[in-house]
Amino acid sequence: MRRLSRWAGAALVSALLGACSPGTGVDRGLSKDGSGVVAAIAGEPDQLDPHRTSSYFSFEVLENTFDTLVEPDENLTMRPALAERWKVSKDRLTWTFTLREGITWQDGSKFGADDVVYSYRRIIDEKLGNAWRFEGIEHISAPDDSTVVLELDKPIYNLLSRIGGHKGLAIVNKKNVESGKIKTHPVGTGPFSVDDYNPGESVRLKANSRWWGGTPEIPSLTFRFIPEPTTAVADLEAGEVNWTDNIPPQQVERVSQNQDLKLDTAVGNDYWYLATNQKREPFGDPRVRRAIAYGIDRKAIVQATQYGNATVNQLAIPKTNPWHTAYSPYSHNPRRAAKLLAAAGVRDLKIDMLVTKEYPETVTAGQVIASQLEKIGVTVKPREVDFATWLDKQSKGEFDMLMLGWLGSQDPEDFYYAQHHTKGDFNFQKYSNSEVDRLLEEGQEETEKKARKKRYAEAARKIADDASYIYLYNPDVVQAWAPQLKGYKARSDSAVRFRDVGLTG
Amino acid sequence: MLRFSLLRTGHAAVVLLGVTVVVFALMHLVPGDPVRVALGTQYTQESYEALREASGLDRPLVSQYFHYVGSALTGDLGVSFRTGEPVTLVLLERLPATVSLAFAAMVVAVGIAFPLGVYAAARQGKISDTIVRIVSQLGLSVPDFWLAILFVLLFSSTLGWLPPSGYVPLTEDPLGWLSRVIMPATAVGLVSGAIITRFVRSAVLEALGSEHVRTARAKGLRHRIVMGRHVVRNAMVPVVTVIGVQAAILMGGIIVVEVVFAWPGLGRLTFDAVSARDYPVVQGAVLLVAALFLLVSLLVDLLYGRIDPRMSLR
Repeated sequence: MRRLSRWAGAALVSALLGACSPGTGVDRGLSKDGSGVVAAIAGEPDQLDPHRTSSYFSFEVLENTFDTLVEPDENLTMRPALAERWKVSKDRLTWTFTLREGITWQDGSKFGADDVVYSYRRIIDEKLGNAWRFEGIEHISAPDDSTVVLELDKPIYNLLSRIGGHKGLAIVNKKNVESGKIKTHPVGTGPFSVDDYNPGESVRLKANSRWWGGTPEIPSLTFRFIPEPTTAVADLEAGEVNWTDNIPPQQVERVSQNQDLKLDTAVGNDYWYLATNQKREPFGDPRVRRAIAYGIDRKAIVQATQYGNATVNQLAIPKTNPWHTAYSPYSHNPRRAAKLLAAAGVRDLKIDMLVTKEYPETVTAGQVIASQLEKIGVTVKPREVDFATWLDKQSKGEFDMLMLGWLGSQDPEDFYYAQHHTKGDFNFQKYSNSEVDRLLEEGQEETEKKARKKRYAEAARKIADDASYIYLYNPDVVQAWAPQLKGYKARSDSAVRFRDVGLTG
Repeated sequence: MLRFSLLRTGHAAVVLLGVTVVVFALMHLVPGDPVRVALGTQYTQESYEALREASGLDRPLVSQYFHYVGSALTGDLGVSFRTGEPVTLVLLERLPATVSLAFAAMVVAVGIAFPLGVYAAARQGKISDTIVRIVSQLGLSVPDFWLAILFVLLFSSTLGWLPPSGYVPLTEDPLGWLSRVIMPATAVGLVSGAIITRFVRSAVLEALGSEHVRTARAKGLRHRIVMGRHVVRNAMVPVVTVIGVQAAILMGGIIVVEVVFAWPGLGRLTFDAVSARDYPVVQGAVLLVAALFLLVSLLVDLLYGRIDPRMSLR
C-alpha cells in the first residue's frame, strides 16, 4: 500500500508538470496561434486619457489608438495624419488645416473639425500638462466641418512638431471624455481600438477597420505589463510575448545573438545630463561646473549604466536628429579639472547628488561619478530617494547636483528652451545667460530653417560652455521581437507603432 | 463565543481607525507630491495648481482627513488620483490574485515546514536535524526576489517547463492558474516555510519533553500515536499563531515577487501607488491589509479552542 501511494504521488507530480508546460497555457490574448501580437512593456499605463497622462507606458498604448493632426515619420519630419494638408499665411500667423474626408471615431460616429477645436480647448482651458505647447496660439476655430484654423500672436516655427510630435496632443472624443470612460476605455480615431482592460495585467486592442490609413494587418494587439526585464526577455524567448522593449542592458548582446529573435536599436532622442544647483555656492561659478565636466569620463559612465548601448554626447541633440550640432568641448581631463577648481579657489568640495531607483542608471552613474571626481579632490555623496521625493527636491532646489534624462524631445525648442531660458519652467538649476535667452527666443520665431538651426547651435554651444547642463549621452532605443513580426522598426522617438506590422507563418 | 467575536470586532474598529490616522499622517509627511508625479516633468505652474485643486489637495489636512474617514465609514474609500476609479473597486479587482497566490504559497510553506519541523525535532541533535536547521536558516536568508529570478531563468528560460509570467484566474482555468502560480508560490513559500519550520521544530521539541509524553511512552503507546495525539497536537498552538501571521503577511501582497512574475496583486498595486503618491489607493490598501490581519488573528484565536479545549471560549 505504501509503495502504491508513492507511485501514485509520482504519477500525480508528473501529470501536473506535464499540464504546466508553457505549450498548454490558455489563450487570453497571449497569442500563440499567430492571430495577434503580444507586446511586453515595462509598466502599466496610469490611465489612457492622452491629455492627462504623462506616463511613457500609456503613450506606448496610445500611439496605436489615437491620432494627432500631423505626425512625425521615422526621420521626424511632420507628415499629414488627421489633417490631409495645411497652408500657412504670408505673415506666418494663420495656419489652416484641411482634414481628411470620411474619418469616423472607433465607435462609428462622425469625426469633424469641432472635435479638434474641442480637444485643443480642453488642454488649454483645463490647464492640462501639455497646455504649454499652445503658448503663442491665440485663437482656434473651425470655420467648417473639415477646416481648422490656428491664429498665432507671433510666428512659431515648430508649430507642427508642437501639435503633432506627441500623442499628448491627440484628438479626443467629447462624449468619451464627458462619460469619464476615456481613462480606461478611450475612443480614438487610430488604427487600433481598446477592446479589453485587465488592471495590473494587460490591455488588448483590436484592429480598427474604419481607420483612414487602412485596416491594420494584425487583428489584435495585446500589451502586457511585465516590469521585470529578465522575465520580459524570458517571455519573449518562450514565445509568450512577441515583442518587448524591456531588455536589461546587460542582456542586449545575448538577445541580439539569439537566432530566433530580432533585435533592433536606434539612437534615441532622449538624453541624460548632470545639473548643478547654481544658486548654491560654489556652483554659481562656471569654472566649478566646467571642472566637473572635465572630471567625468562619459564613456565609463555609458559602459556602467547602459553596457555601451548609448552614444556619448556633449550636447542634447543626437547625431541622427536633423537639428544636431557637433560640439565636444570637454575631454576627460582630471588635471585640467583640478586646475579649474584651484583657480576658483575651491577646496575639499563635497557634492550632495540626488539619484533615484525609478531610473536605476542614476544610481549606477552616481557611484561611477563619485569615484571619478574623487581623483580631483571632490567628494560626491549620492543620495537615493524615491522619484516623488526626487521631483519635490528638484523643484524646491534642495540639491547640489542631480542626474536625469529628458525623454521625447524632437525640436530644438524642446531640448533647450524650458531647461535653459532664465524664465524656463524646468530651469531648476537656475541658469541665466541673457545671450542664451535671446538666442532661444529668436529660435522660436525664426522662420527660415538654416537661420534657426544657427541660433540653436549657438545657444547650445554657450549652454555647454557654461555647463548649465553637463550632457552625458543619448541612450539607444532597444527593442526585440519574434521574426514572424514583419515590418516593425525601432524609432528614434521611441514611438511604438504596430499599424504597419504583419505576421508571417 | 459570539460575545468574544463582537468584542474583537469592536477592538478591530478602534485599531482600524488608528491605522487610518497613522497612514494618513505618514503619507502626507513623506516628501513627494502626487500632483507633480501625475504631471510628469513637463507642465506649467498653472497646470499644477489646477490639478491640485481638482484633487482636493489644496484643503487643510485635518479637513481632508475627516472627509476621508467620513466617506470610508460608508464604504467609499475615495477615487484613485491616477485613474479616477473608485478605490474599493480597484482593491477588489486585485484581491483574488493576491489571495490565490497567498493560499498557494501557504500550501507550499506548510507542506515543507510540517514534515521537516517534526522530523528534525524527532531526531534532535542528529545530523539530519542539523541539516534541516541549516537549510531553514538558508531559506530565511535567501531573498525571495533572487529565488524568483533564479526560477524564471531555470524553469522558463533554460528548461522551458513553465511560463515565465502572467496570471489566469483560478476560477477561469485551474490548470493555467497552477502553471503560473507554481514559481511565485514556491519562491515565497520557501521563505515562509523556513520560518515556520523553525517554529514547528521548537514547538515539537517542547512537547516531546513534557511529562504527558513520557507517560504516554511509558504506557507503551506506539511512536506514531504518541507523535500524532500527544506531541503534534500540543505543539500546534504556537505553530498556528505563526502560520496565521505568515498568511496575513502574504495577504498584504508580495511586492517583489509580484513584480518579477507580473502578478496583478495587491502588493504591486500598493507599490505603484506609493511611488505615485496615490494617497487614496495606498490608504485603502493599508486599511484592507489591516482588516485582513485582524480577521486572520480572530480566526487563529477561534482555532485555539479547537486545538486545545482548555482554551475554548465560553
